[in-house]
Amino acid sequence: MSDFKETLKSQIIEQLNLEDLTPGDIQDDAPLFGEGLGLDSIDALEFIVLLEQNYGIKIADPNEGKEIFQSVNSLAAYIQKNQ
Amino acid sequence: MYYIHAIASISHQDSFRNSNVYKSLTPLSDDSDVISPDFKEFIPPAALRRLSPVLRMGLAASIECRNQVATDFDAIVVGTALGCLKDTEKFLSTFLTSTSDFLSPTAFIQSTHNTIGGQISLGLNNHAYNMTHTQNNLSFEVSLMDAILCLNDGKKNVLIGAADEKIDFLATVQPDLIPNEFPLSSGASFFALSPAKSEIAIQAVSTNFNATNLLEDIGTFLDVHDISMEEIDLLLHSNDDIEAHFSPKEAINYLDFTGFHYSASSYAVHVAHDFLKYRHMAKYALVVNDLCPGKVGITLITRDEA
Repeated sequence: MSDFKETLKSQIIEQLNLEDLTPGDIQDDAPLFGEGLGLDSIDALEFIVLLEQNYGIKIADPNEGKEIFQSVNSLAAYIQKNQ
Repeated sequence: MYYIHAIASISHQDSFRNSNVYKSLTPLSDDSDVISPDFKEFIPPAALRRLSPVLRMGLAASIECRNQVATDFDAIVVGTALGCLKDTEKFLSTFLTSTSDFLSPTAFIQSTHNTIGGQISLGLNNHAYNMTHTQNNLSFEVSLMDAILCLNDGKKNVLIGAADEKIDFLATVQPDLIPNEFPLSSGASFFALSPAKSEIAIQAVSTNFNATNLLEDIGTFLDVHDISMEEIDLLLHSNDDIEAHFSPKEAINYLDFTGFHYSASSYAVHVAHDFLKYRHMAKYALVVNDLCPGKVGITLITRDEA
């Protein structure tokens, strides 16, 4: 799971052009939106693309996004459950 | 007269915050690149990560102009021939190659030409008139005409500029479009124009999209403004035939210093401004842009001693 989260962080950095960050800068349980990484609604769309392109997962209900994209932990758990 | 109150250029020359770009002109090598300022000084990291080079250049140059005049603009006019090429290429490449049902929204959102003007508006928190002109090599001159119309209409502080960026793919297609020996390049030059008096002004600009006789166009322009070529202290051109025909006091093919991009004439106007500012005996500089055959833009820059 730890290696998977590191891979996921690298994918997030690439997809969202977080050019000044390394995987080590992203805490597993830190909020991705708002006070955490400061991501916004366009980034939420980028997450949907990331999930579909890298893991073949489509989010059927957009309202689920708020829970899924809360942190790297919640995102990793969702991917492992739905892959 | 339309007075220049601020200028900022980001180019392959050392131009940003350079008080005399004319004096610093250096011929470009084939592998030269844009000399950029530290964009983090102008753009928050969260916004910067999404911005392609042309957006970074346009926004930073605009913010620098805004800082120089310390007044909000009441119009923003931007010229760009090829727009946000890097985002366009990224979007189209993904569109062609992706097997996914979804495409990255960022490149799509930012692939339109008016993204530059839009980002400037957002970056300056400015909700005034905002217009983008895409007229091939005359995008800058047409924008300048729009800015002049804004000033004639009563606006007091207009931001006008032009920006274009190169991508590697251009090296493949450009030789078939307009063959030339100049290296492909990128650049952005922005100006704050106002009716309030300052030392250097745009006196006139004209465009001809159906030009059949370049030399005649130049002659007609000079006649209309009651100036002879002998009075022009510096001619900046993109075609050596002009220099050979008119034998001006001093002449520069500005493509030697800008490289080839469709907004290069905006940098020539910056050079003309600095030439007139520091060459105190000089009064007129003329920029003649005929980068694309049959499309001629002429800009007269003057020192206003009145």
